[in-house]
Amino acid sequence: MLRNAPDRADLMQIITPSKVYPVIIIGSGASGGMAAWNLTSKGIDVLVLDAGDRFERRTFWTHVRPWEARERMARGEQPPRFYLDTKEQPYFTPDSRPFDLYRVWGHGGKTNIWGRVSLRLSDLDFKGAESDGWEIPWPISYKDISPYYDQVEQLIGVCGGTDDSDSLPGSKFLQPPPGPRCGERLLQKGAASVGIPIVAGRRANMTRPTRGFPACHYCGACGSGCDTASFFNSADHLLPFALKTGRLEIRSNAVVARVLVDDKGLASGVQYFDRRTGAEQQVRGKVIVVGASTVDSTRILLNSKSPRHPNGIGNGADVIGRYLCEQIRFHVRGYLPQLAGTETRNDRGIGGEHIYMPRFNHRPGRKRDYLRGFGAQFWNTGASASGANPGSEAIPGFGAALKKEIKRRHPAWFEIHPYGEVLPYAHNRITVDPNRTDRYGVPLPAIDYRIGENERKMTEHMADTAEEIVKAAGGVLVGYKRGDLDRMGSAIHEHGTCRMGADPKRSALNAFNQMHEVRNLFVVDGSAFPTATEKNPTLTILALSWRATDYLAEQIKRGEL
Amino acid sequence: MHRRDALKTIAAGAASSLWVQQLSALAQVHAGQLHTALVAAQTAGGWVAKVLDPHQQRTVAVLAELIIPQTDTPGAKAALVDRFIDGLLETATAADRRKFISGVGRLDVRSRALFRVDFLTATPAQQTDLLTRLSAEGSAESRELVDFFAAMKSMTITGYYTSEIGMRDELGDNGQLFLPSYDGCTHPEHQR
Repeated sequence: MLRNAPDRADLMQIITPSKVYPVIIIGSGASGGMAAWNLTSKGIDVLVLDAGDRFERRTFWTHVRPWEARERMARGEQPPRFYLDTKEQPYFTPDSRPFDLYRVWGHGGKTNIWGRVSLRLSDLDFKGAESDGWEIPWPISYKDISPYYDQVEQLIGVCGGTDDSDSLPGSKFLQPPPGPRCGERLLQKGAASVGIPIVAGRRANMTRPTRGFPACHYCGACGSGCDTASFFNSADHLLPFALKTGRLEIRSNAVVARVLVDDKGLASGVQYFDRRTGAEQQVRGKVIVVGASTVDSTRILLNSKSPRHPNGIGNGADVIGRYLCEQIRFHVRGYLPQLAGTETRNDRGIGGEHIYMPRFNHRPGRKRDYLRGFGAQFWNTGASASGANPGSEAIPGFGAALKKEIKRRHPAWFEIHPYGEVLPYAHNRITVDPNRTDRYGVPLPAIDYRIGENERKMTEHMADTAEEIVKAAGGVLVGYKRGDLDRMGSAIHEHGTCRMGADPKRSALNAFNQMHEVRNLFVVDGSAFPTATEKNPTLTILALSWRATDYLAEQIKRGEL
Repeated sequence: MHRRDALKTIAAGAASSLWVQQLSALAQVHAGQLHTALVAAQTAGGWVAKVLDPHQQRTVAVLAELIIPQTDTPGAKAALVDRFIDGLLETATAADRRKFISGVGRLDVRSRALFRVDFLTATPAQQTDLLTRLSAEGSAESRELVDFFAAMKSMTITGYYTSEIGMRDELGDNGQLFLPSYDGCTHPEHQR
C-alpha cells in the first residue's frame, strides 16, 4: 500500500507489518470526538487523524480585556489562532455568490470556540419533508434520537429551562439556566403580549460542576476559548477520557486527502499529508469514520475517486456534494428606552443570550406562505463587555452630548438575530476542482450556493416577527434595514452534502450514518443532515455520532465489519 | 468579539460609504482579541505614529477629543485614541488608508476656506462649527468630508470605549470576570 517512504515514519511502518486499525476517525470535533470517546469506551481501538494540533488552554486569552490585548499585541504576543487561514487552504466561490466558511483545524475543531446553543430537533424538523414533500425526509424521528439527546445532555452539561414545546422538546436533564438580563426580560414580556413565546436559552455552559470540570464563572468570553473548560469542547471533555482507556491514538497535523479503497470498493485506509513536513502518509483501517465537518468531509469523499467509485466514494447516486443547506439570518439592533440611564450591570453572563425564540410559525392562526421555519437568538442584549454597542455610532452629533447619550443607552441595547432554514436544493453544491489544488496537490473545494423564493418569503416573515417583538417591547430600532441578510455561510451551520435517507438512490447514508454503497464507511458530522432546520446543530451531531457508533460497535461485535 | 458575532457594522448612518463601513468594521475587529496584526503601541512614551505624519496625528488627536471630550471622566485624548487609529490604519487596505488621510487634508482645506487657518490652528469654537456642519443630518458639505468624519467618529467610539478609561471609568463596567452565580435582571419593576 505504501507508495513512497521519504521519512522515518514511513520506514517504521514498512519494517513493522503495516498495522490495520479497527477504526480510523477523521476529525476530532463534536462528531469525531464523540465517535472516538464512544468506541474506545466499548473497547475498540481507534486512530484519530486531526488536521491540526492541540490548543493549549493555558494560552487562551479568555480574560484579556481589549486594552490589554492591544498592549500584548504591541509586545508581539498573539492569541491562539483557532481559525484556519484561507491562504493555507483556500476554497472557491463564484464571484457573484460569496460564501463564508470558518474552519478550525486542531483537536476539538470548532467546539473550542462554538456558540454553544444546544437545541434538540423535534419531529417538526425530522418530519418536515414528510409533511411538505420538499426533498427527502430524515430516516429517523425524535423517538429514535431522544435517548441519545438524554445521554449527551447529561454528559456535556447543558443549561436551560423547563419550558418545552412542540418545537423545542426534552428538557429533562438540563442544568439551571442563568436569569435573563433586563433587556431580555423586556423582550420576553413584549413577545408574550403578542403571542410569541420566548423561552430560557439552552446552552452547553455548565452552571453546575460536571464530570470534574468547574461550573461557568460568567466572564462571558467563551468566544476566546474557555480557560476552565466550563463549556463543552471535544478536546477537553471527550478526547482525554478516550485516551485514558489506552485505546486511542491521535495523529496531529494529519491533513486527510482521500479514503482509500480495496478492489471490492470497500474502504481500506486513509491517505493524508503531514501539515508540517508535507510528507504523504497512508494508514490502514477496517472501518473509517468521517467527521471532518461538512465541507472538509465532502472534499475528502469527492476526492476519493477509484474505478469502483469514479464519482467519489459512495457517490453512485450523485448526491454527495449536493443539497448544501445552511441558514439565513439577519441582525436587528435597537435600544429599550425603559432601560436607558439605568446603572450599568455586569451583563456578561454565559457569553451569549440567556433566552431563545423557538419556532412558532406552524401554530394555528399563523399565516405562512413558505415551507419550514425560523427561530431567533438575542446575543449582545444588555451592557456590552467589549466596548460600546456598535449601534452607538448611529447616535447623531459629537462631543459631550454624544458621550452622555452613549452612556445612557449602554445598558439598554438589544439585538435580535433570527435564523431561518434554507431548503436543500440539488444545485447548491460543493465540488472539487482538479485544476485547483492545495499545497499537497489535492483538489480544493468550490462552493456554489444561493437561496430562492422560499427563503425570500421566510425573510419577510422573520422581519415582520422581529419588528412585532420590538414594537411590543417598546424598543427603538437603530440602523435597521429590513431584510438585510448576513452573508451566506455566516451562521457556520453547513449541512446536507452527504445526507442520510431511506432511499439509496437519493441519499448517501442509511439511518445509522453508514454509507449505502460502502458498508465500512460512516459519516457522522453535519453533512449527514438531510435538512438544515432553523436550529444550531452541534447537540444533534453529538447525538447522531453517539448513535451511529453504538451501531458500528454492535456490527463489529457481530463480525459484520 | 466572537468571529461569528462580528456583525456587519452599522457605521454612522445607514448611508455611509463602503470604505467608512470597512474602517468601522476593522476598528471593531481590532478592539477585540482576534486580530493578529495590530502593533500600535498603547504604552506611554516614545510612541511615533507609523502611518500619520505629525500634523495629521495631532489633527486626529484633536478631532477624537472633540468627538469624545473630557467631561467628568477623561476623553479620547487621555485614552490615546490617536494611537489606536494609527495602528488601525496600518492594517487597513491601502485604498481605505488613502481615503482617510486625504480626508485629513480636505478638513484643512475646508477650514482654511471658512476660517483662513488649518483645522488645528482654528479656535475651538471654529472647530466645533465645522464639525457641526459635517455631522448635520443632510449635510451640505462634500461627501468625501462627511464620510471622513463618519469614519473618524466610528473609530474614535470603538477605540475610546474599548480602552480602560472608556469601559471602566465612563461606562461603569465593574470588570468582574469570576462570579459564583448569575442572577440576571434584579430590577424590581422588570420582574414578570
